[in-house]
Amino acid sequence: MIDTAAVRALRTMDLIPYILENPGVSIRSLSERFSVTEKQIESDLQLIFMCGLPGYTPYELIDIVFEEGIVSVIDPQVLDKPRRFNKSELIVIALGLEILIDISVSNPERLQKLKALSEKITKLGSSNSVTFAPSEKNSIFSDLITDAISKRKNIRIKYSSLVKDQVTQREVTPQSLYFMNGSLYLSAYDLSKKSDRIFKVSLITQCEITGNSHNESENEIRDSIRVVLSVKKSYRNFIERNSSIISTVIEKKEFFEVNIDINNVEWLKRSILSNAPGISVVTPTSLANEIRQSATSLLALYQAEK
Amino acid sequence: MSSQKTERLINLTLALLATKRYLTKSEIFKNVTGYSGSAETMERMFERDKDELRSMGIEIDVKGLDPLFEDDQGYLIKSETFQLKGNEFAKDELFYLTMAANLWQSTALDSDSKAALLKIQSLSGPIESDVVNTPEIRDNENSSMLTTAFDAIEKSKVLTFQYNGSTRIVEPLGMYTKAGFWYLVAKDEESFKSFKLLRIEGKLTSNGKQNGFKKPENFDLMHYLEGLNKEEVIRAEILVRKEQAFALRSKYAASDFDEEWDLMVLPYKYEPEIIETLLWHGENVIVIKPESLRNTIKVSLKEFIND
Repeated sequence: MIDTAAVRALRTMDLIPYILENPGVSIRSLSERFSVTEKQIESDLQLIFMCGLPGYTPYELIDIVFEEGIVSVIDPQVLDKPRRFNKSELIVIALGLEILIDISVSNPERLQKLKALSEKITKLGSSNSVTFAPSEKNSIFSDLITDAISKRKNIRIKYSSLVKDQVTQREVTPQSLYFMNGSLYLSAYDLSKKSDRIFKVSLITQCEITGNSHNESENEIRDSIRVVLSVKKSYRNFIERNSSIISTVIEKKEFFEVNIDINNVEWLKRSILSNAPGISVVTPTSLANEIRQSATSLLALYQAEK
Repeated sequence: MSSQKTERLINLTLALLATKRYLTKSEIFKNVTGYSGSAETMERMFERDKDELRSMGIEIDVKGLDPLFEDDQGYLIKSETFQLKGNEFAKDELFYLTMAANLWQSTALDSDSKAALLKIQSLSGPIESDVVNTPEIRDNENSSMLTTAFDAIEKSKVLTFQYNGSTRIVEPLGMYTKAGFWYLVAKDEESFKSFKLLRIEGKLTSNGKQNGFKKPENFDLMHYLEGLNKEEVIRAEILVRKEQAFALRSKYAASDFDEEWDLMVLPYKYEPEIIETLLWHGENVIVIKPESLRNTIKVSLKEFIND
C-alpha cells in the first residue's frame, strides 16, 4: 500500500495501543510487526509527540518514552484501544476460526468456545460472502501433536503410509503442523530413519507423547532424481496440488511439460498411475516403463473375470 | 507525503473521537491544530481530510445542529465504531483469535492476517502460549487477486478475466476456500458458477464501478455450496488384496472374499476422485461394481499403456 498521509496517520495511531499493551517493545520489533523500516517507525514516533487533544498542553498530548531503541507509552489520550477490525481482517479471522472448529472435533470444550467466538465475529460484521468448505475430516490428534511441539516432546505414532502401503510404528520429534491442499500435515524428525519426514495427520491412527526431544540434526542425505512429465491440460490439478515440489512448468499446445526433482519415486509412481491416462513420464524411460508395467498388470487383473 | 498533513489527520481524529458532543467546523478550525489560511482554504482542507479518513474506513458521524440552518452541521467519531472495547474479548477468546489469524501468515492473506494480529496483540499484549506451534496454511494464491475479488464482492463491482481461453464478465457473489484452493462464485450469463482462482489467466480486473449490479435476492453462498455437495452417493464394490491398502482399511470395513482378496464397499460422488483413490493402490485394488466405473478404469489404463 502506498504510504499516503492517511495510511501513515492510521499506522501511527495503531502504534499507540500496541505499544501500550506491549511496553518496552523495541523499534526493531515494531518495524517487523508494522512492516516498515526502523527509520519510518522512529519518524512516526517523532510525529506522535506533536499530536493530542485540542488545547495541546503537555497534559493533552500523547506522551511516550522513546530511548535507546525501546518505547513505552505514558499517556495514550484516547488511543488506548486498537481500531476495530476491518472487513478483510474479519474474513481472515472468521475463516481461521472455521478451520480451527474443523480440527477441534476431539475437544468439545474448545469446540464450543470456538463456535461461540465464531458467532461473535459474524455479528461484528464478517462477510457471509466468503466461507470455508471442509474437504476431509482431519485427525483427532492435532491437539496432542500441538501440545508435543510446544513442550518439545517426542511422540510415538502408528501411521498408515499411503505411499508404502504399510502400517508402521515410529517415534518422531514433531516440528510443525501445516495445511496444504486442505489437509493437515506434520513435519517431523523420524528418530529411527534419522531423517526429516512429512506425515499426513489424517493417516495417523494412534498417537502418544513419549520422552523429551533431543536436537538430533544428522539427516541422511537422500538423492533426488530429475523427472520430466507430460501432463494433459485436463489433468492440471496435479500441477496445482504439487506446485511446491515442481521445478518448472512449460505450457505446450495440448499439454504441460513438468520438471520435477524428487527423492520419493514411489509417491510419483502412484501419483502417475492414479492420474492415468493424464500424466506420462518423458524421462527417465526406465521409470516410464516401470509404471507402464504396473498399469499392464492391473489391466490384466481387470480382464481376468472375478 | 507531508508530515503536517499526517499530524493534522491524527489531531482531527483524536478531537472527533474525544469529544462528547458534535463539533462544528468553526470549532474544529479554531481548536484542532493544523488548520490555517482563509476560511475557504480551511474548508477545502477539512473536506479532503474527512474524505481520506472515510476512505480508510473511519466512520465520521454528521448531525445537523440547528434545524433551521442545514449548513450548521456537527461532526463526531463514535468510539464504538472506531475502537474495540477493552473487555470485548475474554483472554481465551484473544488466544483463539490469535490462532485464527496466525493460520494465514504464510498465505496470500498474509497482510490482512498481520493487521488483524496487530490489533489482537494491542488488546492482549504478547501471547505467552504455544500459538507459534499452531498449524499454518501454505498456499500458492495471488494476494492481489484475492484482494480484488473480496473488494468486488463487497462493493458489487463487475469482474473481467480470462478463464479456459475465453473472456468472462461476471457478477461476483461470494468466495470459498476448499482443499487449499480459492474459488470465486459468480453470476455468469444468467447462471451461478464457481471459478478456481488459480486458473484465472492474467489479471482479475474490476471495472471500478461500485454497485455495478444488483445481488440476486435468492442467492445464498452456503445454500449454493450445499447444492454442489448434493450429488447422489454411489457405492462401489471393490476387492482389496489381503494385508494391503491400509489407508483404505483404516476408513472402510472389509469382509473376507477369498484367500487372496477382501471385499469392501466405498461410497463416492465423483467418478474422477474415486478412480484416483483406487488406482493409487495399483494391483492391490480392483473394482467389481458398478460396471461403468470398472469400464472407465479399463479404458484409462489401456489409453495410458498405449500412449
